[in-house]
Amino acid sequence: MSKYIIKFAKEGYMKYTSHLDMLRLFQRAFKRCNIGLAHSQGFNPHPKMGFAQPLSLGYTAADEILEFETVEDFLPADIKESVGKIMPQGLIIKTCSRLTDNVKSLAAIVDEAEYTVTFPIDADLADYGKVVKDYLAQEHIVAYKRQKKTKKMVEVDIRSKIRDIQLVDGAKLTLRLILDCGSTSNQSPEQVITTFIDFAKLDVVRYDVEVERTRISFDRKLHI
Amino acid sequence: MNLRLDNLLKQVEKPARYIGGEYNIAIKEPESVKTRFVFAFPDLYEIGMSYMGLQILYHNLNKEEDIYCERAFAPAGDMEKLLRENHIPLYTLETKTPIKDVDFFGFTLQYEMSFTTILNMLELAQIPLLAKDRGEEYPIIIAGGPCAYNPEPLADFVDIFLIGDGEKSLPELMKKYGEAKERGLTKEEFYKEIAGETGIYIPAFYDVFYNEDGTIKAYEKNFEGAPDKVERCIIEDIEEIDFPTSPIVPIIETVHDRAVMETFRGCTRGCRFCQAGMIYRPVRERSKEKIMNLAMEQLANTGHEELSLLSLSTSDYSQFEPLAIELMQECKKRHVSLSLPSLRLDTFSFNVLEEIQGYKKSGLTFAPEAGTQRLRDVINKGITEKDIYDAVEQAIELGWKHIKLYFMIGLPTETYEDLDGIAEIARNIVSIHRNSGKGGRFNVTVSVSNFVPKAHTPFQWEAQDRTEEFTKKHDYLREKLSIKSVTFNYHDDAVSTYEAVFARGDRKLGKLLLEAHKQGCKLDSWSEYFDLEKWQKAIELSGTDIAFYTTRQRGFDEILPWDIVDSSVSKKFLMSEAKKAVEEKTTHDCRYGCVGCGINRRVECKLGGIYE
Repeated sequence: MSKYIIKFAKEGYMKYTSHLDMLRLFQRAFKRCNIGLAHSQGFNPHPKMGFAQPLSLGYTAADEILEFETVEDFLPADIKESVGKIMPQGLIIKTCSRLTDNVKSLAAIVDEAEYTVTFPIDADLADYGKVVKDYLAQEHIVAYKRQKKTKKMVEVDIRSKIRDIQLVDGAKLTLRLILDCGSTSNQSPEQVITTFIDFAKLDVVRYDVEVERTRISFDRKLHI
Repeated sequence: MNLRLDNLLKQVEKPARYIGGEYNIAIKEPESVKTRFVFAFPDLYEIGMSYMGLQILYHNLNKEEDIYCERAFAPAGDMEKLLRENHIPLYTLETKTPIKDVDFFGFTLQYEMSFTTILNMLELAQIPLLAKDRGEEYPIIIAGGPCAYNPEPLADFVDIFLIGDGEKSLPELMKKYGEAKERGLTKEEFYKEIAGETGIYIPAFYDVFYNEDGTIKAYEKNFEGAPDKVERCIIEDIEEIDFPTSPIVPIIETVHDRAVMETFRGCTRGCRFCQAGMIYRPVRERSKEKIMNLAMEQLANTGHEELSLLSLSTSDYSQFEPLAIELMQECKKRHVSLSLPSLRLDTFSFNVLEEIQGYKKSGLTFAPEAGTQRLRDVINKGITEKDIYDAVEQAIELGWKHIKLYFMIGLPTETYEDLDGIAEIARNIVSIHRNSGKGGRFNVTVSVSNFVPKAHTPFQWEAQDRTEEFTKKHDYLREKLSIKSVTFNYHDDAVSTYEAVFARGDRKLGKLLLEAHKQGCKLDSWSEYFDLEKWQKAIELSGTDIAFYTTRQRGFDEILPWDIVDSSVSKKFLMSEAKKAVEEKTTHDCRYGCVGCGINRRVECKLGGIYE
């Protein structure tokens, strides 16, 4: 058994491919490349493959991570070459390397993620540096979140899960969000975006805002 | 990326339906081809992409350098609303080209209840609905598929119908168009050039005259070059034609998300209600070697995890046993699951199912279609109750817990005794399980559909039950089937009535379709979209007498709207089968000797389809 990770970018129309569809897409890609994935034991074996962190539908991404285990050993460069060749337009395989760290799964140790959010608003329309500072200076930031089980909207305070927000240079108002991510504490950019739109009184609707995940980090140093 | 489109996609459910970009799509420079064709399936993406015919024609068109075939599907309600509000014309998935800018907009006609969706797609593409309103600047509207065997309800909207196997005829037609375009021909000049070709039906070249009672008096040609009857295209040897080994692999989950291999075309059983069994004659097989090679190549090129065989009756393939064994071995090697639909349940099949399903047993399906032997003889369905019970016994022994039964109601000569027979079969199966001593959960599902008489079948003259009669029979059955461990499902009555209207409709129905479209009817095969009130209003406004199409028994001497299409099965044979039905006489499977359907006047019929 050999463990690998693939780093890839998701661009253009591919952002409309959901998490489950992405899993199936990679599974089929490995099959086409004759890269046999290792399977779990039991009555319903499933391939040992997964993303470090699911990505919301509609987000592009610069540096996503897929981890997987194969039955036979392959050279990472060969995997990159063969899988990269058959990816649909918009999915770009950046690197493939061996996962040498002794971790059960990367998904379990994700800690932080970074997003770039672009609003359809001219950056020089106001002093957005100050707006961001004031937004972060709030003690509580109350957002609404739909509960998974009951489907009810509940109030949540998201302030403690926002690690930082930075203004990024550019013609359009662009923010870099650094948020809690992973199984311990997770903050979706969605509530940050909606509360920021309200706070800054921006005249935009959600579907005009572009979001890209630019980084996923772990709670420890890895050799990947 | 088109920014306006991107903005829309963020607001809809399942946006990946509208983006294209799947693995194995054809990528061409649109300017480099002579003919641009859009293959449209008038339903949602998930339905359309599950249809193998799309993949077959897409492949056969795109392997030609001068032709570019792209795809389009019906948008769901949310996307349609946004397209309309933003005045974005319906576009192709491959290059996002507005469909109104291509040469051909082609629809596959798989079921009658998709007809309103065709009109809706034309409107969304910003193309005039009526053929007579479309100038030279618009694409030619072409249609094919099983419902094209009665093309008349769509005659006002479609320019060319292509009847029969399309793998050769469609690319040839596209090439001819490319040349015609270079020669500067107008649409009409082009139609006149192709009117005499096999399979081509151009409704504008015929004027229809009616009797006072609404039946057809005569078809008169207004262009001499048009044929008296349109012969369907038949590919005599399907071994020779190209079958796609690199089909498009959808990104989102579709209804049938798997590799599909067609083993043979046609069927020898001769069930009298079945249109497919008549219009796809004669039986034509691929060799086992070819099937194996194509299937394995397809798996390698798609990465699919499931393989299914496609034909009208899987076990009827002449070398089914060796094929099944070889497929099982090869699929196992590749960690691919094998699915074999519509198996005849003999000992061999049970062994196969045991091997490929193991502990994950799906339901076991039987289609007796009718509840008594008498009625099964009427419809020529050669399955006996003993066949069913023997198989059920074996299935229960092997651990099956779920039996599915398919029946039709409203069949010719049906009485309530035949309905009692349906309940009887379900009850007997439950008893077999009880007496087996196996215990545990056990379920029988009885699914009942409503008989819709179809063109080009022995029952094409028959009256259909009234909607109310279907409802009454469902109520009766619901009571009879309130048996422990039995689940009863049935189809919507009104939908079956409308289906029957179009299945045997004439040109006058163009008015009804147009009115239904104006009322907002679309995606009518979806219960959440089918709106009876809108249809009733359309009936009223168009002045359509639907009983004329549904509950009226036709005479053998009546000129039928679909007589213009020659399926190559003789009308004499259909009549003789219709008469035998009333006499409760069966006709044997023609694998065991020719029954004289007339197909061999046109092409060689290998009877059993045995490949030599």
